Amino acid sequence: MELFDIVFYVFALITLGSACVVVFSKNIVHAAFSLLFTFFGVAGIYVLLRADFLAVTQILIYVGGILVLMLFGVMLTNKVINVKIKTGTMQAWPAGIAVSILAGLLAGVFYSNWKDAQLPASTVDATTHLLGEMLMTSYLLPFEIASVVLLVALIGAALIARRNR
Amino acid sequence: MPEQLLGDITKFLPEITLTVMFLVAICADLMFRKSPQIVAGITLTGLILSGAFVLNQSGMNESIFGNMIAVDPFAVFFKVIILMSAIFVIVFSLSSVELQTASRRLGEYYSLLGGLALGMMLMAGASNLLMMYLAIELSSVSSYILAGFTKEAPDSSEASLKYVIYGGLSSGLMLYGISIIYGLTGSLDIYEINHVLAQGSVSGSALAIAGILTLVGFGYKISAVPFHFWTPDVYEGSPITITAFLSVASKAGGFAVMIRFFKGVFIDPSATHLPEGMWASLSGFEWYHVVAAISVVTMTLGNLVALWQDNMKRLLAYSSIAHAGYMLMGVVVLSNEGLAAILVYFMVYLFMNLGAFYIVMVIANKTGSEDVEDYKGIGKRAPFLGVALTVFLISLTGLPPTAGFIGKLYLFAALLNSGWIWLAIVGALNSVISLYYYAKVLRNMYLRSEASEKKTEMIDIPRVQVATVLVLLVPVIALGLYFTPLVEMAQASVKMFGSP
Amino acid sequence: MAHELIPYALFLPLLGFLINGMFGRRLKSEALIGGIGSATVGIGFLIAGWTFVEMLSLAPEERTFIVPVIDWITAGNLSVNISYQADQLSILMMLIVTGVGFLIHIYSIGYMHGDPGIGRFFAYLNLFIFAMLNLILADNFLLMFLGWEGVGLCSYLLIGFWYDRKFEKGTTGDAAKKAFIVNRIGDFGFLIAMFLIFMTFGSLSFQAVFAQASAFPAGSVVITWITIALFLGATGKSAQIPLFVWLPDAMAGPTPVSALIHAATMVTAGIYMIARCSVLFALAPTTMMIVAVVGAATAFFAATIGLVQNDIKKVLAYSTVSQLGYMFLALGVGAFTAGLFHLMTHAFFKALLFLGSGSVIHAMHEEQDIQNMGGLRKYMPITSFTFIIGTIAISGIPPLSGFFSKDEILWKTFSGGHIGLWIIGAVAAVLTAFYMTRLTILTFHGEKRWGEGKHPHESPKTMTYPLIVLAILSVIGGAVGWPAALGGNNALEHWLEPILERANNEMHLIAPGHDPMEYALMAFSVGIAVAGMFLGYTMYLKKKEMPAKLATSWPRLYRTLLNKWYVDQIYEASVVSPIQVGSEKVLWKGVDVGVIDWTVNAIARLFGFISKYARMAQTGVPETYVFVFIVGVVTIIGFLALK
Repeated sequence: MELFDIVFYVFALITLGSACVVVFSKNIVHAAFSLLFTFFGVAGIYVLLRADFLAVTQILIYVGGILVLMLFGVMLTNKVINVKIKTGTMQAWPAGIAVSILAGLLAGVFYSNWKDAQLPASTVDATTHLLGEMLMTSYLLPFEIASVVLLVALIGAALIARRNR
Repeated sequence: MPEQLLGDITKFLPEITLTVMFLVAICADLMFRKSPQIVAGITLTGLILSGAFVLNQSGMNESIFGNMIAVDPFAVFFKVIILMSAIFVIVFSLSSVELQTASRRLGEYYSLLGGLALGMMLMAGASNLLMMYLAIELSSVSSYILAGFTKEAPDSSEASLKYVIYGGLSSGLMLYGISIIYGLTGSLDIYEINHVLAQGSVSGSALAIAGILTLVGFGYKISAVPFHFWTPDVYEGSPITITAFLSVASKAGGFAVMIRFFKGVFIDPSATHLPEGMWASLSGFEWYHVVAAISVVTMTLGNLVALWQDNMKRLLAYSSIAHAGYMLMGVVVLSNEGLAAILVYFMVYLFMNLGAFYIVMVIANKTGSEDVEDYKGIGKRAPFLGVALTVFLISLTGLPPTAGFIGKLYLFAALLNSGWIWLAIVGALNSVISLYYYAKVLRNMYLRSEASEKKTEMIDIPRVQVATVLVLLVPVIALGLYFTPLVEMAQASVKMFGSP
Repeated sequence: MAHELIPYALFLPLLGFLINGMFGRRLKSEALIGGIGSATVGIGFLIAGWTFVEMLSLAPEERTFIVPVIDWITAGNLSVNISYQADQLSILMMLIVTGVGFLIHIYSIGYMHGDPGIGRFFAYLNLFIFAMLNLILADNFLLMFLGWEGVGLCSYLLIGFWYDRKFEKGTTGDAAKKAFIVNRIGDFGFLIAMFLIFMTFGSLSFQAVFAQASAFPAGSVVITWITIALFLGATGKSAQIPLFVWLPDAMAGPTPVSALIHAATMVTAGIYMIARCSVLFALAPTTMMIVAVVGAATAFFAATIGLVQNDIKKVLAYSTVSQLGYMFLALGVGAFTAGLFHLMTHAFFKALLFLGSGSVIHAMHEEQDIQNMGGLRKYMPITSFTFIIGTIAISGIPPLSGFFSKDEILWKTFSGGHIGLWIIGAVAAVLTAFYMTRLTILTFHGEKRWGEGKHPHESPKTMTYPLIVLAILSVIGGAVGWPAALGGNNALEHWLEPILERANNEMHLIAPGHDPMEYALMAFSVGIAVAGMFLGYTMYLKKKEMPAKLATSWPRLYRTLLNKWYVDQIYEASVVSPIQVGSEKVLWKGVDVGVIDWTVNAIARLFGFISKYARMAQTGVPETYVFVFIVGVVTIIGFLALK
């Protein structure tokens, strides 16, 4: 087992363990905090895969933005309504069975032929430059359309949140 | 590369027009808060202008922005359907009492309708998995907001929330499928994927799982069973104009992107031993069996559950699920004939389904009810609406001499010609079942009379609304009697970029 | 050029139908309604006339125009276009239909004056003209069938125009239903023929079918069946044995309708259709024999019934059936031209007679029984005079038109060697002359037999002018078929020759020559016509006690004729009652309620049951939805994995 593998499993453990807490914890604040570790774990795996830009984005957006927003939401509503917010599970067993079958099938997928299964060459290049160039050339259209999607989402959020008239 | 991109912009004019219109509409909404009609006018203008550009694209068969979007007859046909229904829905909205009384700003409603149409147009042309996903997402996000537009009605918020949850789930699964496909083939471009698959080195089972997961996203868009659960709740809770739009245009976009995905990815372009117009599926993933099964389940469940509905919107929601099932039959046959049948069906479906929804809306404007029980005596109180609704429902059943019959005729002919006899029989039986619940509405309108005295006064309808009904009614009858041009147009529109 | 305007000749009556049908109630002016109705048909006549002139300027073989309008149905190898074929045959029919139709439209303005439904009436009449023109101008069987059904529908609508009026034992609505149902039987024959034609020739277009027909030998089985099925269609529409029973009842409609539809145009559709398909019929000698025998039998049979009827329109109705029988006789012996010639002259004089009777009925305030008329000559001179011209024409007195056409039929029958049929035809000719004279005398001559309350008067000009025009046509109309034996050149025969050439060749008819026999027969025809008329004159004007004496001497024969050979009763007992009883006891109570309803209800309950549970899945709880969603994905993947 090389160092790479050891580091990978450590990150995988952090990710999965904290994800389990997110799912099974009944206290929603605990769940939200555990999500932090899940995001970090995933960011670590990105770094291992030499996706440096993705890793940074993951931390900036998910940890810095989304997670903080969620925590604010949870804490503020908790304060206002003054009730304890809890989550619960329904139909745990049938759902568990269905999900595990699905997971099993997906596991099968990982043993099939993947294109370029080898890791890229060991030289570490920054991907940011490449990504930026791609976004301005071959992926220009998706990039622009994504901005329209975000604009629609913004308007929608404003529409739903705003008081009447 | 930049020159290439600049050149492609001229072939992207319809979508650009819509985007510009969307932005202008948002700004106009900020300036003219009191009069949403201005925004409606801007949106309508944008849609019509975009439609003109789309018609200008007829005959083109190209791929632009590095194979992101195809501009081919197939896409143009669906864009026409989407734009036509968007225009109709805006006209409907102008006379909807439900929307006027909602204490919301209608300006955003109209601009978001434009955004929704843009998303669907992109679905019609997308030929890259990333593009497909983004297009679906754009139309989904707009739909979530529009479904919950009349926020005060509890149904509407609930519908919107369920829609979001369901949409999130399905796009998650779809993304997962797309990522597996990328992993297996190393590309997101459907032509390249097809090329890799044709070499036969990709594991069949992994591909099948990935394909099914991707299908989930499409299935959710066209509300195929078992991905349909959001449909009745959302259709019932949304403003009826949005319900009408989702039932036609959203399905059209979903079908367009799904057909392009399956035909582009899984059809062997080099097969030459087949008769003209037939396709050969690449081995390894017999997806058309899955689609056949889904189609049977979809139409049967849609029709069976519709039998018990007593709310018109819900009834039409289930009926539209059943219609998606009929159209899926056309995908199964793996031929241009089946594809042309779907296109014919869509054009017909556009008029008859929008017509039925519009009349439900006009009646609800006056009576305030969408309950089938409250349709008692409508045939006498509003003779014109009664006759028009009768025609639309007969057409939805698929009886001559209406256009619905022609749609079904071509679908069944395609099935029989390619040997799917059992599927044709199931489809025909389903049409029989559907007659029952459509006829239930007719029975209430004509054969039963309202017990209480006060509900016997005539219902007056403004001239504009009569004209709108006529615009939808005339094609339903005319296409039932003289359908050759439509069929020829559909046959010319099956051509997709990069496919045989 | 002119023929390109032909679609407008169809489109305008349709437009008239739409205008009068939709706004007829709001248009207050009767003149406007009638004007729109008449003008659309009048323009159609002008177009027909212009096309006719255009044809005259061309060589005979160039006189066929195909005017395509739209490609209507293209499905598989079935391709049907809406396109119109104008040739020598269809232009002849078009001239008759639009010409006579226009006159009758004008007449109707006077006749229907004051009727609250006048807008509806003209709408139906225009729709009829539209359908009839489709029938005769179609260039394929399907479009012809559409017109065929369309005229049937209009006939139904117009017979029952006064749907709540009493008529015999029921209402006019019942008469309309009878006409419609009997016609359905004939239409069934037409449909079967169409299926057979498509199966055999793979096309429904006239030109393609007739071009291929030469490949079949004479007497071929499939052609025989096709023609028999077509002839069944013709017997329904043209009121021949065994399907003639509807036509006398069709007199329940307004009189202009009887004149237009049930005398001059629609009922001749069967003759036109057989002439159009002459190529096919000529290949089926068996069918031709059937056509000739049925025609002769009908001619005789209907004439005998006409002898004793007392309703003015009934007499004319049976006379129409009888004259149509003549035309079928002509077709059956291969004399297509003679049949069409009689069709044309008959359209003139029978429309004249019907319109005359309408004028009388109008004047007598809806009185139709000739026993209550008499002496009307003094009160309505124009009607009386034109009616007498019609009577002379139909009786076959030269040089009026009826003589030429009827004589040509009888001569062709005789010269074709069908002596038996000729004798029947000659007897029917005597009977025709007799009952028409009887009708005229009882109506217009002798002393008046009507009550005090009635004040007969001459009809308005809108009614008398058409009578005069038709009377002139009845007199001179025979000129187009002036036989060679009398120094004419039989223009009609030459005109139609290119169309009928192939059929004529197939029939091997003897070339028209100067046969002394022809003159003898001509003299004989005139003789029997005069004899018939003289007999009628004697019995009803000179020795008035004779009819009653005859009736008492042969009471059984008299009653049989009066009751129309009991055909209605026989049909009632042999067809209608068994169907009614069978359909009630077996089909309704047994099959329908017992088997079909039970099965359907059981299936409905089953589906209801299933659907009750199916819809429970729609709980409204998102978690359930998501669960089913995932299960669905897993199931589909499992389904694929197991395959």
